[in-house]
Amino acid sequence: MSQASRLGITRRRLLIGGGVGAGLAVAWGVWPRHYVHNLVAGEGETVFNAFLKIGEDGNVSVIVPQAEMGQGVWTALPQALADELGADWRTIGVETAPINPLYANDFLVTEGAEGALPSFLGSIGQWATREYAVRNALMITGGSTSIRGFEQRFREAGAAARAVLCKAAAARWDADWQACDTADGFVVLGDQRLRFGELAADAAQYSPPDTLTLRNPEGRPITGQSMPRIDLPSKVDGSARYAGDVRLPEMVFASARQAPSSRHRLTAVNRDAANNVFGVTAIFENPRFAACVATNWWAANRGVEALAPEWESDDEGVVDDASIDAALQVALDGDGGTRFVSEGDLAAAFGTSGAHRATYSVGLAPHAAIEPLTATARVTGDRLEIWAPTQAPGLMRTAVADAIGYSEGQVTIYPMLLGGAFGRKIEHDAAVQVAIIARRMNRPVQLTWSREEETRSDYYRPAARGRLTAKLGAAGAISAWHARIAAPSTGNQLFRRIMPSMFFGGVGDASPGAVEGARPAYAIPNLAVEHMPVDIGVETGIWRSVAHSYTAFFTECFMDEMAAQAGIEPLSFRIAMMGDSSRLARCLTAAATLGGWDGGEQGGGMGLAAHSCFGSHVAMVVRLHIGDGQRPIIENIAAAVDCGRMINPEIVRQQIEGGIVFGMSQALGAAIAYADDEPLVSNFHDLGLPILTDIPQIEIELIDSDEEPGGVGEIAVPPVAPAIGNAIFAATGQRLRSIPFRVGGVA
Amino acid sequence: MTRMTVNGQPVHYRMDPRTPLLWALRDASNLTGTKYGCGIGMCGACTVNLDGRAVRSCQISIADAEGAFITTIEALSRSRDHPVQQAWIEKMVPQCGYCQSGVIMAVAALIDGNANPSDDEIDEAVTNICRCGTYPRMREAIRLAARVSRGEERLAAAPPPGIDPGDAAAHVAALTPPDEDADDDPGRIVTD
Repeated sequence: MSQASRLGITRRRLLIGGGVGAGLAVAWGVWPRHYVHNLVAGEGETVFNAFLKIGEDGNVSVIVPQAEMGQGVWTALPQALADELGADWRTIGVETAPINPLYANDFLVTEGAEGALPSFLGSIGQWATREYAVRNALMITGGSTSIRGFEQRFREAGAAARAVLCKAAAARWDADWQACDTADGFVVLGDQRLRFGELAADAAQYSPPDTLTLRNPEGRPITGQSMPRIDLPSKVDGSARYAGDVRLPEMVFASARQAPSSRHRLTAVNRDAANNVFGVTAIFENPRFAACVATNWWAANRGVEALAPEWESDDEGVVDDASIDAALQVALDGDGGTRFVSEGDLAAAFGTSGAHRATYSVGLAPHAAIEPLTATARVTGDRLEIWAPTQAPGLMRTAVADAIGYSEGQVTIYPMLLGGAFGRKIEHDAAVQVAIIARRMNRPVQLTWSREEETRSDYYRPAARGRLTAKLGAAGAISAWHARIAAPSTGNQLFRRIMPSMFFGGVGDASPGAVEGARPAYAIPNLAVEHMPVDIGVETGIWRSVAHSYTAFFTECFMDEMAAQAGIEPLSFRIAMMGDSSRLARCLTAAATLGGWDGGEQGGGMGLAAHSCFGSHVAMVVRLHIGDGQRPIIENIAAAVDCGRMINPEIVRQQIEGGIVFGMSQALGAAIAYADDEPLVSNFHDLGLPILTDIPQIEIELIDSDEEPGGVGEIAVPPVAPAIGNAIFAATGQRLRSIPFRVGGVA
Repeated sequence: MTRMTVNGQPVHYRMDPRTPLLWALRDASNLTGTKYGCGIGMCGACTVNLDGRAVRSCQISIADAEGAFITTIEALSRSRDHPVQQAWIEKMVPQCGYCQSGVIMAVAALIDGNANPSDDEIDEAVTNICRCGTYPRMREAIRLAARVSRGEERLAAAPPPGIDPGDAAAHVAALTPPDEDADDDPGRIVTD
């Protein structure tokens, strides 16, 4: 099956209009099956393909399978389609996609994310995993893949529709359709023009041609422009609908408390106390959770508090800070690791002396989206409908169906706007719970987790520890580098939860995903990166920028240590070793200029860091001072970003700003402490998240680039912590090797 | 007693008087623009205007709100044209958007009382948590909204909601003008 059939249209080849005239024909695909879109046309609407509908009123509906969680994908992908279609941007609207193999994120599981989802590749191979992704409609928003994975499909969908609109117009004009073009919502030929709305129904009767031509960059007036986000108006007047805003006739509200861990089972609840709560109408006991249903959510949540569920664990071991710490250290000191990067001759290069070694660590980090997990369910006859915020609607459907013994065909998922996700909403805990509850209630049920549940039952970014060893060679460059990192195989834990039918390996199996980003961008002749897998007893999850959030911290702080060893200023030290990383080098020099880099002098309070991930490159310069109570006060952050060709620069800027603030939260927020198998945090007051007054001046330079687009949603997070750490060193002389940072504490 | 005025309408909530205002607004009045984030008054996603002040509606019971005049995001303006809303669009502040109703209500109360707030006054009034990190834009938008409310600048960053299809077609050539005969359709809903 060709790329064409992925659009739900029939054609054979695709030409990309190049400057030299000869386009690139996209190869025939290999899919054994043919998929048809499952869109429904409204009155007066015509479905063109899986990504596009046009109404007779001239309104264009773009179907977006990727979740809008703030990253602007509901605007950027329609921009790509609108340009190929030749639409007037003011006529563009967005609809969410139904579950269909046509919307599978095959990029994520193949070329896009080697390392991020390693087991897909390592054990099965690219072809098979891609086929799995497509056949099972593996719709996932994650890994900063939306533009990289879908821009081309949206362009193709727009170009295919343009061709048939031209054919319909040409038939009316008795002209050659290839002489026609589209612009501003019209098909045009000389002085003649016809609105898309007038042609849509006719046009759908035509087949796209065997060869489709995509527009040259100069023929794309919308791409590259900072169009206002489509979701903006609804997000300033309260009309944007999130899953918790669904209101159905007769609907009731639920709150739930979950087992502290997967090892715990419910043993007792105080039903009498809950029944005495005004408004509570039903109580649910499940081995994994207890819940109350009431006429409003506050009553339901008071009911759950009154239930005071008790749990028992079938495991002797108790998880606490000391056990997590010990597990990481044992793994780091052990020999159970796997070397995923090995270049040159490490032993020879290190010799017997002269190496510098340091151990770095990061703690658990919360997602803390302001929207807690929530889902609404309605059972009608033998059908179940779920409204939920989700980064993976297909997996949610499977999980929900399995939980209540339905077939997937009986379950409909309505993906809603996400009130922040950061990786947490790739999971489906609340949807499964509400399905179980709703099947036994004869009314629709809306389940919302309390902030306390959300905080305690988070799947945190894992704790990790890295031991870095390096040695300087001639001319002050690093000749050997060894990064040994102890961390859980979070990807394996995640997939066990969200795709239980597939086995990807255990938490204690080594995985390149756990050390992603640990290979320095620098030209170092002798190099090794090892993962020491470890079960820390806590279920962990993917978190904005995944393993890069700690590997960049380890690498870029240790680089400063090596620069100090060499007696070379940190910027020059890095630039001298950039080798093939010319894009990152350019970011570094740009950030240094933008941020007024002072050479990292002691007492100056400036630090820098650079990191490449998700196909993009970012460098940052931080300036700070130490305020009252030894608190680092960030004054300025200058970032230079090369993320390739941009569809919407202002949205890119938003993502960089947001990534910086997110990175600040892991560097300067509160640590998540554990005791007696439970986290000791319960609400926002425990997390130390930044607010307006904490935000420094942020300056961003987006570097012009014609390179293929890289990701943008996660790329600004990783360099923040090391840049702050290096700045703290410059301000205080203290090398802090653990985040969250505590100035004056133990390094 | 749990009677009050919400967005200009008199209401009487037949709920436990200890129910936080947030849940009366969301679950009884279906005013879902006001969001739940933490329930302890930290994040500010539930901020509404109560008798001219920005309050965290998760922290006040409907008994304590007795007799109050409450405005939620849905009624901040009739046409999405409050200076804060227009500034928010002009500066493209929202990302996921979930916390923004609360932030906008906090800022609107600040500016309505002080059209020239200093940075310190802004920091003191706006303590909401935004996990997407829209803060840098927030500060710019607050300054812009203040200038607009002082009459130093004018803004029309976004059109009002509910534009008539005929008006839209008159401005956007790509849209098909509605059939003139539709005006005679007795079933047509007239909105104003």
